[in-house]
Amino acid sequence: MAEVHLIGQIVGASGFPRSSLFCKWGIHTGGAWKLLSGLREGQTQVDHPQLDDVAYWSHPIDLHFATKGLQGWPKLHVQVWHQDPFGRRELYGYGVCHVPCSPGWHALACVTWQPLGSWQERLSQLFVGGGPQLLNSDLIYTGADRYRLQTTAAGTVHLELGVVLRHFARYGVEC
Amino acid sequence: MVTQARFTAGRADTARRGPMEEPGWSSDTGGAVYRSRDPVRNLRIRAHIQRVTSTGLLLQQLQQPAGRQGKELVSLAAFSSHPAASGYCPDDEEKAVIGWQEKLFSQFEVDLYQHESACQTPLDRQYHQEILKLEKSGGRKNYRIFTYTDHDRFTNLEEHCQKVTSSEQEVPSFLAERMANLRRRRQDHRPTEGSVLKSRVITWEPSEEFIKNNHVINTPVQTMYIMGDLGPYGMLGHREYEHVLCTVKVDGNGVITVKPDFTGTKGAYRIELDGEKRELWRYTIENASAQVQQEEEEREQRMFRDLYSRHKEYLNGLVGSDFEMTLPGALRLFVNGEIVSAQGYEYDRLYVHFFLELPSRWSSPAFQQLSGVTQTCATKTLGRDNVAYFSYPFTLEMFFTQEDESEGSLPQWPVIYFEVLSLDYWQRHRVEGYGSVVLPAAPGFHTLTAPTWRPIELGTVSELRRFFIGGSPELEDMTYIRVPGTFKGECLSRFGFRTETTGSVTFRLHCLQQSKAFLESSALRKRMQSVLDRLGGFSQQSSFYNVLEAFQRARRRMQEARESLPQDLISTSSSTVQQP
Repeated sequence: MAEVHLIGQIVGASGFPRSSLFCKWGIHTGGAWKLLSGLREGQTQVDHPQLDDVAYWSHPIDLHFATKGLQGWPKLHVQVWHQDPFGRRELYGYGVCHVPCSPGWHALACVTWQPLGSWQERLSQLFVGGGPQLLNSDLIYTGADRYRLQTTAAGTVHLELGVVLRHFARYGVEC
Repeated sequence: MVTQARFTAGRADTARRGPMEEPGWSSDTGGAVYRSRDPVRNLRIRAHIQRVTSTGLLLQQLQQPAGRQGKELVSLAAFSSHPAASGYCPDDEEKAVIGWQEKLFSQFEVDLYQHESACQTPLDRQYHQEILKLEKSGGRKNYRIFTYTDHDRFTNLEEHCQKVTSSEQEVPSFLAERMANLRRRRQDHRPTEGSVLKSRVITWEPSEEFIKNNHVINTPVQTMYIMGDLGPYGMLGHREYEHVLCTVKVDGNGVITVKPDFTGTKGAYRIELDGEKRELWRYTIENASAQVQQEEEEREQRMFRDLYSRHKEYLNGLVGSDFEMTLPGALRLFVNGEIVSAQGYEYDRLYVHFFLELPSRWSSPAFQQLSGVTQTCATKTLGRDNVAYFSYPFTLEMFFTQEDESEGSLPQWPVIYFEVLSLDYWQRHRVEGYGSVVLPAAPGFHTLTAPTWRPIELGTVSELRRFFIGGSPELEDMTYIRVPGTFKGECLSRFGFRTETTGSVTFRLHCLQQSKAFLESSALRKRMQSVLDRLGGFSQQSSFYNVLEAFQRARRRMQEARESLPQDLISTSSSTVQQP
């Protein structure tokens, strides 16, 4: 049994068309992994930046995993949402990135995409917002069925992750 | 020793003491922080002050010996209970062991609180009672060393009036005043921890109390001052001669701040008095708390060890202690990858098609997908480039087995080939670029940006066709990006093949390598430069590998058995061995 500690934060997001964003996040792992402590998913507050377009959340992530194998290394998936002054929520982007497998501190930029609707939908999106969303959120962190999707590039979510590994060397794993 | 010192000058005296006592003074009066889980009432501090005769005093002694003697007699008479040694002035040196918040009265306080008329507060009255009791039981034991506890007025005043700069007009800052207020208030009643507030995230209307508690950092502290009355002979009980020897602060979490620090190996502290005499005092502060017994400490450690091993067993029970291993002589390469983005392409709506090529002697498990297609992504403008974000995760797992050492050649590394395509609204396909990425041979995190090219034909016709109806020259065999699979010759020539530079694709790869060979070479890890060096010795090792592993397993079992034995059994057996 080897253990992984993941300690870090979701720093913020940039490059989205409007500010006042919040983020839903989750960690997806394979069957050989077991979460010993920490929260597997969460949601940040809504941040209203005053000057530039970078929303800062500084949302903490602190997880402890134990694993029997390398298969299904944890993946962090994020959904960025926008909340407008009327309280309506609108999807701005989906993204995923692997948890780094080398110990240490990592600053990661997780790029996101947004499903693209038909031109009528896009027109209405321009005026009243909204837009298509994924039916199954597993498409965010799997690649198998991605070819069905039409997407457009959205912004970037900034992550800072510290990784502590234990006992991997005991099983001949170099990372 | 001390009587000798009285009649010699300061410097010479310290020189003569030799290495037995610390010769130097400690000028570092900074505080030190200790942490203890034990209740703070067990804290004992031993203070020791001693007068070091200054030259000024020596002169005075020589000039008027009789008068001084007289004074000394008076002072002796005043403290009749003190066992006066012959030729030894009791006033010169004093030791005291002080408990936490233990009140030792000063001469000043004794004089003041003796009369009930001077008592105003309940605390004063309590002191009055205590002093009367002390007088009855035969006077107090301390003369020069006394304390101010947390309840004393001095503690608050000292906090309030402390100066930090040499400025004449220094006034306590706003924050300092708030802190002092807070501290004074807190000693009366400790605020209940805000359990009510935990249900709400934000307090929209913070109360005055809430602001005070939160704006000023504080864990409530209790303070105690160990003081020295450094007045001249027989002149005890004057406030101007009171000096702080040591400040001790304890907070609720068991953090003990001692300022100045306990004199351990450092030299004693000194206080030089003002005035014409310029008397010099040395003092030491020591931790005199009862230490933990050896057995108790051992028992505690055993308990902790027990707890930790229980916890380990619990984790093992949850997950299981095994871990998937590779076969001996095989290297497992495990890649967690992402196609992050594609940038700098001419057309919109890009997607990437990629596949992995495994060279000879590489294999992959049957369930492993070795190719993939991303979603179609419309680009956005970022700086000067159009970027498409894919955020497409993939996992690649492959094994390398070296069958025969005699083949001698270095292993080839797997390669990801990819092509970038665009698919527009009218379903027109265009090839945007070809590229390849060799999987990194070093484990860890790699961000690779691979530039791409696309084949072109001479002339404008094909470009016009590409623009209007889509379609363009494509590679029939994508391995042509590197060395084609069908190629057998000596020299690969691409003469006559025209390409155009297009954009680039960014990959993020997290590589893990697993091999039993790494277990053995972990000691040599520092010296080995690359993975290839280490893979070299596979085939020799595999034969005796099993023997080695069996030995290690047996050894581990033996160690575990030894650890689980009771401690006393081991110690007795070792002592019997030593006896003959």
